[in-house]
Amino acid sequence: MPIEFKKNRAVFRDEVSVEEAEGLLEWLQTRPTAKADLASCSHLHTANLQVLMTAGTGISSWPKNAELRAWLEPALKLGN
Amino acid sequence: MKSSPVNPLLEQFLSEARDLLENTGKKLMELEDAPNDKNILDELFRCVHTLKGNSGLFTFPEMTRVLHAGEDLLGMVRSGHAAYSRELADQLLEAMDLVGVICGDIESTEQIDSSRAAESKLMTEALRKLMPGPSQSDSITSVSALTAVSPAATNTSVSPADIPPSGFPPLASLPEAVRLAAIQQCRHGDRLHWISYRPERECFFHGDDPLNSARQTPGLIWGHIVLLAPLPPLAELDTYSCLLGFDLLTDAPREELDQYYRYLPDQVEIAAVLPQELVSGQRDTDGAKETPSAANSIRSISDDDRIALEEIVAAQRQILLLDDRPAWHAGRLKAVAEVLANLSQAAGEISARADIQAALAEDISSGHNTLLLAWLDAYKSRLPDMDMSNLPGASDRFGPGPDEESADVSPAAENGAGKAHAEEGIKFGRRADDDPNGVKFGRRAEDAIAGPKSLKVDQAKIDRLMNLIGELVVSKNALPYLAERAESQFGVRELSREIKGQYSIINRIADEMQDAIMQVRMMAVSFVFQRFPRLVRDISRKLSKDVQLVLEGEQTEADKNIIESLADPLMHIVRNSLDHGLETPEVRIAAGKPAAGKLTIRAAQEADRVVIEIIDDGKGIDPAVIKQKAYEKGIIDEAALERISDQEAIDLIFAAGLSTAAVISDLSGRGVGMDVVRSAVEKINGSVVLESQLGKGTTIRISLPLSMAVTQVMIVESDGQLFGVPMDHVIETVRIPRNSIHAIKQSQTAVLRGRIVPLRSLNALLGIATIPKANLDDELAVLLVQAGNTEVGLLVDGFHEASGVIQKPLNGFLSNLSAYSGSALMGDGSVLMILNIREIV
Repeated sequence: MPIEFKKNRAVFRDEVSVEEAEGLLEWLQTRPTAKADLASCSHLHTANLQVLMTAGTGISSWPKNAELRAWLEPALKLGN
Repeated sequence: MKSSPVNPLLEQFLSEARDLLENTGKKLMELEDAPNDKNILDELFRCVHTLKGNSGLFTFPEMTRVLHAGEDLLGMVRSGHAAYSRELADQLLEAMDLVGVICGDIESTEQIDSSRAAESKLMTEALRKLMPGPSQSDSITSVSALTAVSPAATNTSVSPADIPPSGFPPLASLPEAVRLAAIQQCRHGDRLHWISYRPERECFFHGDDPLNSARQTPGLIWGHIVLLAPLPPLAELDTYSCLLGFDLLTDAPREELDQYYRYLPDQVEIAAVLPQELVSGQRDTDGAKETPSAANSIRSISDDDRIALEEIVAAQRQILLLDDRPAWHAGRLKAVAEVLANLSQAAGEISARADIQAALAEDISSGHNTLLLAWLDAYKSRLPDMDMSNLPGASDRFGPGPDEESADVSPAAENGAGKAHAEEGIKFGRRADDDPNGVKFGRRAEDAIAGPKSLKVDQAKIDRLMNLIGELVVSKNALPYLAERAESQFGVRELSREIKGQYSIINRIADEMQDAIMQVRMMAVSFVFQRFPRLVRDISRKLSKDVQLVLEGEQTEADKNIIESLADPLMHIVRNSLDHGLETPEVRIAAGKPAAGKLTIRAAQEADRVVIEIIDDGKGIDPAVIKQKAYEKGIIDEAALERISDQEAIDLIFAAGLSTAAVISDLSGRGVGMDVVRSAVEKINGSVVLESQLGKGTTIRISLPLSMAVTQVMIVESDGQLFGVPMDHVIETVRIPRNSIHAIKQSQTAVLRGRIVPLRSLNALLGIATIPKANLDDELAVLLVQAGNTEVGLLVDGFHEASGVIQKPLNGFLSNLSAYSGSALMGDGSVLMILNIREIV
């Protein structure tokens, strides 16, 4: 599973595809305080990013991939 | 059946591509042994380069992209910017495999499987990752710059996008660090592009991932995400509607960007970023109001640029002053106009383009250069006075001066222009090899690879020749019958003799012709062998074994069909040897052997057969294990378990359904190994023998006929019909008195040279309801044949001569008749059926 849903934390791994977006959205809708852990994420589909941005999900750890982080950080910080 | 491509150019490309790929693979392997050999590297580079160039002739972006990356990577290795490594070779080999697969796609369906696009992209990335070049370091700097973005800048960046109607890139949103780096790059002569990527809302349904596309944009220096619409409340979010867009800054050439975004042209806006826009950085905010005057802007540029500008103008003037009128005159004018327009734009005179275009249109229609020349002179007069002492040095730096350039006019247009980053859009007069991305025509001469002078002929043509010569041989054989008839029936002995004389001449020519055609069909076993270095390398690495491969007798030749049908069995055997035979270095050392296993594949010609041996010095085959396995799988019964010899036990390895590997690996051990090998070899009238010594190694010998064209058959008669039995199966012909045939239970046997031989009636085997005829002495004709490991006596009515025939496989419905391996035409026009002994006995 590219996204592992823990109690209040979604752990993204490797490449997260568009199919995950719907599940992520549903999960986040019921957990407003949930955080996302992107540390081992190498890529996430735009749809997932949109969900995170819309939900204003906090990021517990940024991607280790510096290039991805550089993309995501400005976009996601807006929601915080 | 694969349909051959309709387009002959494509056909040629595929055929060449295959050769080039093969050569590339070979060179890569060679390079592995001699990583510093410049010649191999050069040849390798040339192969990939040519292949890439050729692929550019067609629309195979998937292929070209991979090859391009491969070429770049090799280029860096060649220039010493990247080190050759095993990983690099692995990646390149895989890339070539992918290209091969794509070639296969094209060949079979004439289009590329849609999944290849993603594969090729991954491959390209992987290749690019190995490059230490500027693209990577750039993305790193961009990342550092990007992470340093101030909150204020971030806020402006993630705001609903507004592109100024003028279409100029909103450079103000560029973080300062990125902007400075970009200016630096411009100084180095790189040309930057601003991409505004606005994916359509439905793009997810098309399988697009805009973020991924943006991340993979070639030459990416900087990028950020913009919101295309305000974010809805979470509950109303439609996950499948794209709300994000991207602004990107890259240093990739325009062509590459167009190519990269070629499926999304309507969602992408690409604009060239002019250096001074970066310098001022303010163009979109207040640039429109205070466009500097031409003189001012020119004065504001550096001395170097001014010299370049002066030179370009002079060069263009030189071109315009040429008074010849070649066919490409209009193109030349367009080039000049484009250079001037870009030049003035670069210098800040945006409005000048319209004037130039007008002058161009007028000049093209009139066939003169007057208007452009006038504009140019006016422009020149506006240029500030130059410090002439700067010129000579500048000339050196900027390539040939105006005087030299006039000799070679059209490239000159681009030569100077490139220095001022003002050549955008010039498509004429460009030297083919200046641009690594473009399609290259006329490149064959420079890329010629020294190779054997040989003719490529479609195999079908050779087969046709083969068939024709077969028919010739058959019809020629009718002549002796004719001579016979002339003498016996018509009594003209003179004519008979003449016919025989002519026959012997035709016979000689036909024989030679047949021989010559056989020679054409001959192929060296290296065709099959050449894939082994790669196979052994890959497999041994996967199994973490150390294997030294020795190939011998690669020049041994045999018929093409034989060689080709050898490929798969050999592959099986080599895999088996690597997987089961050779041990890991630790085990080998413990057993007192050298750590590296040795696998020898040897080919040699012995009389009219080719013998191929695959020898490994691995752990050998334990007959006890085989026996036990065979017993467990029900291949042998308990009695046989006790009885059979070690060699017989080892031969069981060829039995169907026997796999010795304890676990099924992805290499071998699915129980479809050696029995397939045996049947494949036997299909081409070959035989395979396995010898093994426990702990010492295994030798597999495959013996094959040199050619399948002429089969020696023994002709026998049964129930009034003639049948051919391949000579390979015939042991001897004997006549056995009826009274020495004994019946044991249902079957008949006879004792022959002290051995009991089972006798079967050919009539019975073929379902003919007559009993074999005996001769006058009440003896039955027995043809002793070898079927596999058993000898069987076939009861027939009588023996005829042995004859060389050209065996044709049975076609269509008849091919289901397994009792016959084929048919052959006899000299008198009759058809001889060739028995498939193994099947009927």
